[in-house]
Order: sequence, then C-alpha cells, then structure tokens
Amino acid sequence: MLRATGLVKSYRSRSGAPIRVLAGVDLTVKGGDLVVVTGPSGSGKSTLLNVLGLLEDDDGGEIWFEDARVSSLGRAAKSRVRGRYVGFLFQSFLLLPSLSALENVLLAARYVGRSGAPARRRAMELLEEVGVADRVDHFPAQLSGGEQQRVAFCRAVLNDPPLLLADEPTGNLDDANGAVILGALRGRARAGAAVVVVSHRPEAATGASALYRLRGGVLETS
Amino acid sequence: MKSLRILRGYLFTIVGIAIGVAGLVALGAMSERIVRFIEGGDRFVLGQISVAGRGMGMGTGFTAGGMLPAATIRAIAEVPGVSGVQGQVMLPLDPSTSQFMTLTQELILGVDLSVPSPNRHYRTLPLRAGRFFREGDRRVAVIGASFATSRGLDVGSHLALDDESFEVVGILERMLTAPDRFVMVPIADARAQWVAKDRLLRTVLASGAVPLTAADLNTGAAVGWQDGEDPDQVALRIRERVPGVNVQLPSELSRLLRSSTAFFSALLAGIGVLAFVIGGLSLANTMAAAVFERIRDFGVKRALGATDLQLGREVLAESLAVTLVGGLAGIGLALGLGWGIDATVARAQQLFHFSPRLLGGALGFSILLGAAAAAYATARVISVSPAEAIRRGA
Repeated sequence: MLRATGLVKSYRSRSGAPIRVLAGVDLTVKGGDLVVVTGPSGSGKSTLLNVLGLLEDDDGGEIWFEDARVSSLGRAAKSRVRGRYVGFLFQSFLLLPSLSALENVLLAARYVGRSGAPARRRAMELLEEVGVADRVDHFPAQLSGGEQQRVAFCRAVLNDPPLLLADEPTGNLDDANGAVILGALRGRARAGAAVVVVSHRPEAATGASALYRLRGGVLETS
Repeated sequence: MKSLRILRGYLFTIVGIAIGVAGLVALGAMSERIVRFIEGGDRFVLGQISVAGRGMGMGTGFTAGGMLPAATIRAIAEVPGVSGVQGQVMLPLDPSTSQFMTLTQELILGVDLSVPSPNRHYRTLPLRAGRFFREGDRRVAVIGASFATSRGLDVGSHLALDDESFEVVGILERMLTAPDRFVMVPIADARAQWVAKDRLLRTVLASGAVPLTAADLNTGAAVGWQDGEDPDQVALRIRERVPGVNVQLPSELSRLLRSSTAFFSALLAGIGVLAFVIGGLSLANTMAAAVFERIRDFGVKRALGATDLQLGREVLAESLAVTLVGGLAGIGLALGLGWGIDATVARAQQLFHFSPRLLGGALGFSILLGAAAAAYATARVISVSPAEAIRRGA
C-alpha cells in the first residue's frame, strides 16, 4: 500500500543552519500491516508521519501509494489523495471546537463528496462501536480526552482509508482509553488497512507486524 | 441552527465589524448632512436670479443690498427673458444675532402670494403637516422643520414675532437646507415686522420725506427666466437695463456659495477619508484576525482532504455572512446613535443624514472589504503546509 524510499527532510534552525530530520528513510507498509515507529523526543517521528501523509513536503525521496507516485503531485491532487486514502489520528485529537462530535466525524466526508444520509449512518455506527454514541451532540469541550480521541478515530476511519497514520494517539490518554484506541487501530489493520503508529508506549508494539526505531534520521529495525 | 452556531463563534468578529461600520456610517451620515445643506443651497441659488436694491439693507438672503421698490420690480419684469419677479422680504428673526456667527440663521421670509414662485427648483415647498398660505391670510406662519422642533411648535401652535401672535398653519418637510430654519409669513406681515424691527426705516416713513408705499418694502426679489434663456445672460441684461440694483448671476452665486463652504467641504472630505480608513482598517483587521485565529482548523480540514478551492469557498461564504451581519448590526447601531443624538442632544438641528446611498455603500464596502481581508488571510494561511498550520495553531 505505502512505499517510501530515500525520504529526506530538513528544517532550518533559528540561526539558519539546516537540521536534517529524515536522512533517507525507506519504509514499506502493506495492507493489514501494523507498523510501529518509536524513537526519542525530537527524533523526527511526527515529521516522518507528516511527510508520509502528505501533510508536509519532503526535500527528497519518493512516496508511492499503490502504483501511484504521490509525492510529486500538486497541492490539489495531494489534498484529494489525503481525503480518499489517508486517515490521521493526532495526539491532541484536533477536533474542531465549534462542531459537535457527529459533525466532527462527518467533516471527513464533506471534502470527498460523501455527505448525506449514508455518511451520517456510517458515522453513527462508528461512534456506537467506540462507545460514544450517547455523546454525538456534545462539543469537544464537553467530552473527556478519551471520548475526544474516540471521536477523532471515527473521523479518521469514516472514509475507510487504506492507510491510517497515528501520531502518538495515546499520548494524552490514560491507560484504559489508550488501550481502547490501540485496540481500534489493531482492528483496522486486521480489516486490511495499512496502519503506521508513532508512539512512546511499549504496549503500542503489541501485535505490531513491524517495529522500527527512528535514529539519526533513518529507520532501524527494533 | 449550525449556521447560527458558526456565527456565534464569530461573535467578537461581528462586534468588531459592527463597531467599525457604525463609525463609518455615523461619520458618513454627518458628512452627508452637510453635503445636503450645501447642495440644497446650491440648488436654490441656481433656480433663480436673486436681486436686491443697491445700497445696504438687512443683509439677509442670498443677495445683499438695499430696499427694492415696486417700480424697480416692475422694471425688472420688463427685461427680455424674464418670466416673473417675486418681491420678497427676508429678515433675521433675531436682529441682534450676527449672521456671521451662524451658518444657518433663523429667518423670517415674507412670501408674495400674488406671484408664483419663480424659482425653477422650488416651485412649491414640501409640507410635512398643515397647509401653505391662502390668498388673504394674515398672522399665519409656515415654519421649517428644524425651527418647529427647536421651539416645540406644531400646526395650530402660536408663535410670537415682535409681540405679534402668528398661528402656525403649516410645517415644512425637513429639507436639510436653509428653509428648515425659516419662518414664512405673508409678505404684508413680513413688511410690518421689518418696520417694527428697523428704527431707521420707521423714522424715514414717519417723516414722510420719502414717498414710500407698502409695496416698496422689499429686501429683494426672486427673478425667473423664460425657457431657453441662459440665466446668467438674463441677469446681465437686468444689470445693464435696470439701474440701482444688485444682481447676482446664478452661476456666480453658486461659486460664491461653494467657496464660502469650501472649508466645510474640505473638512468633510477629510472626515470621510478618515472614516473610510479607520472603519476599513478596523473591519479588515478584525476579519483577517478571525481567519488567522483558525489556522489550526484549516490545517485539520486540509488533512481531511479539503482543497484550497474548497477552503476558499468556505471562508468566503463565512466571511460574507459575518460581514453582512456585522455590517447590518453596525448600520443599526449608527442609526440608533444618530436618531438618539438628533432626538435629544440636537433637537433643533439634524446632525445626521442616513441616505440610502450611504447605507448601501457602507454595507457593500464592508462586505467587499471583509471578503477581501478574509481572502487575503486565507491565502496566507493555506500557503503553509497542513502540518505547519496545525503546529502554529496549537
């Protein structure tokens, strides 16, 4: 499903000096794989996920989704690819505060032209699956962290994306809620999605098909 | 419901825009008010040729000069191109107030009903209440709207002019120019007022040294011209053929009026530009800040697949709704403020004039500027990557 070769990414420090974060990352994730990437804080794990999910441009290398090289696409095409092929789960949930739980989930359908009753039905099913069906009309500020991340998970998978990228998805959760989210991610992998999780938590590696450590800008097998 | 919620999320933006637009509209309305006054005066002087007798008279009206006897009025009527001459008596209501101290002096205007108004732009004056004069009326008055408000007068009220009681039979529509502060009376009553106010005239009349009749007591005359005639040429002809008169060319008088109000015009232009800049900056800044504040939301939406075009359309629709609501609220605020001030602080004078062109212009301006500011801010926000947008908004 996902193939990245020779990914390079640098940032500029305040003094203007380049800081190389990714120094030639190669990664292949097939449908059904659950890949976990660990590494110390600041090692570039989030950057890797952002580049893989086309949220940030790389400075070199290639990213392929199936048989299409997506890293060279234009802005609009990348947006469409993100909407149809990639689901994101963030550490800080990133729900829109002005929208209810259900509206946040449905936001994923809006930009891929999947609005309407079927999308709404699917959103309700997902919210029920993760146990927040009674909170659909609540706003993010009225939800606990665990509930917010469950809503965010529903949003990430509403369009059944073949690739799911989770950046420290349990970083702001207690153990119980963390376990629910990790379980849901494993479930998506079992259902055939390619799942990449960046996490500090050792339990995230449970059931992983591959475990990598990002060090010095390259991935090492753990 | 959802739209209302979105607007509620923009509450501070809407309040900010409303204040900016209210400032713009209020200053604009003050400006419009004075423009109307100047335009009204200009329209009046361009509608007639104003003539006075040579010498020094009451110094009121559009043409300064001395008494204009009936014989001279008849001579003017004989000049080729003249269609009608209406003798007038124009007196300061309070002779102790110098006209140099007031832009809009309260005047008594004596109207000769035997001659139709020769002013092409004011054949009749619009009435808000009551009636105009009838043949044979005496001790009755038709008063301007500001005068009525300042004195608390209505149709049927009585007004004392030099110890004479006048019944108010009509009140003019608010015209936003000189007649708003006029007291119009039949010319015979105005002549009596003149004699009562002017000790010198009283002495001359009592001495019998000068053979004067009541018909000679005119402070000036309004002269009309025939269709197809050039009013300036007719005025020059009067100047040539009738001795002992001060004749103002309408175009010259218009120029004089405009130059005498040039300071106010410049002041107004300055106020207008300031209102435009301050109101516009406030509005644009508020709208742009509202978009910049949502940079994280934009990042999330782009992560979910929103294209630049989709986001642009979304922001444009929201900004239009927000500026429309803010603009309307601002206009409402300015209207309330203006009417409140006019009703309480400035009862005699209308300080604000909210014309449809001002309100429409202000609303259009705020919507366009709001949309432009939102478009600019959106372009800036989507120029960064979704990841960067999410990081900056964290």
